[in-house]
Amino acid sequence: MKPFEEQFTAWVDDKLNDAELAEFEKELTTHPEAAAEKAEALKLGEFLREHPTTPRLTNPDFFNHQLMQRIAAETPRAAEKKRALFWSVPRLAWAGAFSLLVSFGLFKALIPTGHIEPSKYFAQVVEAWPSDPSISATTVYSPEDNVTVVWLDGLEYIPATYALK
Amino acid sequence: MPTCAALTLLAVLSGGALAFAEPQAIKTSATGPTPAPASNPDKIWSALVVATNADSPKDAPHELREFAPRLKRIFGYNQFELAGSATEIIDEKTENWLVPSQIFFFEVKARRAASKEARGGYLLNLQLFQDKRPLVNTEAKLAPGSPLFIRGPQYGKGQLIIVLQVQH
Repeated sequence: MKPFEEQFTAWVDDKLNDAELAEFEKELTTHPEAAAEKAEALKLGEFLREHPTTPRLTNPDFFNHQLMQRIAAETPRAAEKKRALFWSVPRLAWAGAFSLLVSFGLFKALIPTGHIEPSKYFAQVVEAWPSDPSISATTVYSPEDNVTVVWLDGLEYIPATYALK
Repeated sequence: MPTCAALTLLAVLSGGALAFAEPQAIKTSATGPTPAPASNPDKIWSALVVATNADSPKDAPHELREFAPRLKRIFGYNQFELAGSATEIIDEKTENWLVPSQIFFFEVKARRAASKEARGGYLLNLQLFQDKRPLVNTEAKLAPGSPLFIRGPQYGKGQLIIVLQVQH
């Protein structure tokens, strides 16, 4: 069973079916003012349809433009900050300092400084040509002793009695 | 304020880098090859050494003391005697004769090695003679403190070794 107010609204709007209407009209006998209220409601609806409260927009585009401008003006400026130029003076200075630090670190790490000890040994046989085919010359480098030796084989034995001086 | 701090840091780092770089430049220029003074010309020293194994080996003579341990390790002898030695001033313009003994001697042509790693050394063309017979022709780079040993013939129960060294 629908409440009276709901049935009354449907009755005003002529939305009740025959059965509902018959039943509601029986109930209306206890509400003699209902007919007057329906007439007033219908009259008010017609009046509102004839006289709308919202004014008709003569230039909707201009109105929208103004509205968007107002919204933009009242929006916080966080978005604008994001678009600020990255290469501001402080950032450039920090970037320069950072680059210098990195360069300094690389310089210290990669480039040897101070006194560089040269190799203590420098003896190198570029070539050795024996004058006799019976003689062979071999170059030997001893890393432990840091010595280069030209090793001659095939030389004639010299007896101890031979005077060297 | 952050700008001032950043600029100050940048200035300090730049100054530090410049101060660090300056002595390096000086060091670099100072490490270049220095020509030998004309008053103290380079020399080449050669020695003919008799290496033997003795039951009670004698100490090596003064001239051979710095070479004796290496000679011992390389050639396996325990006694080293000096049969003769000679020192000549290195003359790049002419051929030099280096005669540590009347039996073994060298003909030497020398020119200064240009590379930095040569440490003031020489590129030597050495021809070793035994009596008047040429034994071997050698092209070798030598620098002070870097001797070259030449293993010669067997001599008696030992070995003849020739030592060559450039001296400043």
